[in-house]
Amino acid sequence: MELIERYLQAVGFWLPAAQKRDILAELSEDIRSQIEDKESELGRKLTDSDLETILKQRGSPIMVANRYLPQRSLIGPVLYPIYLLVLKLAWLFCFVPWLAVWICLNIFVPSYHANASGNLIVGTMHGFWMALVYIFAAVTFAFAVLEKYALKSGFLEKWNPRKLPPLRDANRIKRTNSIAEVVALLAVCAAWLTFMSSPVMVNQPGLKIILAPSWRIYFWSILALMLVTCAFSIVNLLRPYWTRLRATVRLFTDGIGWGLFAWLCKTNLIAEITLPNVAPEKTMHAANAINWWMSLSFPYIIAGGVLVVLLDVYRIVRVKNTATPSAGGLAALVGMHG
Amino acid sequence: MKNSNNHSTNPASADVFENLRLELRRGCLIVAVLGQLKTERYGYTLRKAMEDAGLPIDEGTLYPLLRRLESQGLLVSEWREEDKRNKRFYRLSSEGKRTLKQLIDEWRKINASLQQILSEE
Repeated sequence: MELIERYLQAVGFWLPAAQKRDILAELSEDIRSQIEDKESELGRKLTDSDLETILKQRGSPIMVANRYLPQRSLIGPVLYPIYLLVLKLAWLFCFVPWLAVWICLNIFVPSYHANASGNLIVGTMHGFWMALVYIFAAVTFAFAVLEKYALKSGFLEKWNPRKLPPLRDANRIKRTNSIAEVVALLAVCAAWLTFMSSPVMVNQPGLKIILAPSWRIYFWSILALMLVTCAFSIVNLLRPYWTRLRATVRLFTDGIGWGLFAWLCKTNLIAEITLPNVAPEKTMHAANAINWWMSLSFPYIIAGGVLVVLLDVYRIVRVKNTATPSAGGLAALVGMHG
Repeated sequence: MKNSNNHSTNPASADVFENLRLELRRGCLIVAVLGQLKTERYGYTLRKAMEDAGLPIDEGTLYPLLRRLESQGLLVSEWREEDKRNKRFYRLSSEGKRTLKQLIDEWRKINASLQQILSEE
């Protein structure tokens, strides 16, 4: 019978102190009744092996104890889907920019690539891993607090059907966005033509900054791109729905814009800085330093550009896969028609 | 436990069936336990009675259920000596009797509806 006592002790370890004695007494009585039954059935005393079989049938001590405990969870079924969504988004916003910058550093910065020894890679991975762990811990903690305190207040019950978000049509272009784009582009075009048309960027008695000859190419390219984008935004304003053609045009304009920006960073844009009473060697040194800092931003600009282009590609795929608007709102969305 | 395994040889499908079967049994077991406790019994004899009635229930399910029903005021229990051993005897409380009657009415309605639905097939 020592085996039974050991089993009860192991079950008791997991039980709450207030109920432990009561539960164990009842469990003990049940086991003894079962043993008596079995003994009368077999016509002999049970061996240790028989007892072992009976206990194994009842389940491991922790499982038996667990059935007496209230169901507990750090984050319950109501909040769990929201928790998962927030966790995925948080990880995504951490992972995607990190990956993009890391790839661009490896591709476009030879010095980084050359120095990417095992230690550096391990260090980078460790930093990234720790970021993921911190995000997981922070989000889990926040939701555990929400579960324990806020959920009881019934905040999820306080909702109004009229305040539900409007039906989402991902391919519809918001008119406000198009208007904002047109206004902003016209303003920037005016400023661009007024202040940026000459390579002599600043021409004051106290300071003169001259840009490299490549500025002219950049100036006209950007101006043309802005005018095309402005015309495109006007079309979007009049017909506010993404089509494959327009999504493709947006992909090209975004790609060219970011490409030009990246190219500008590599062109040693500042050709000359003139300051009265400052030696030309010093101003040249300052110009070189600015150019060097600009070139350092190159991988980050490429990373940004890649993200924008990927989003544009996703938009093309989405437009391709989405039913036409005439297919009809929610019915099309949930496949209710037909 | 009677278990009809002839529905499918697919293990995944068998799992689905097993889960559905357990869900179906869960509510019925409560009614059955309350029904059995119109007469006072202790845990082991209750298990035996359930088994004899064709609704076996394992001890890991029964004892926590008895505790829950008691904490809900549907059962009363007392420790008493029988055959030189201390045993905990359970029986329906007056609240438990009322609830059992309501549950039986509800079960009959469900049963009638189900029979009607299934006979239409």
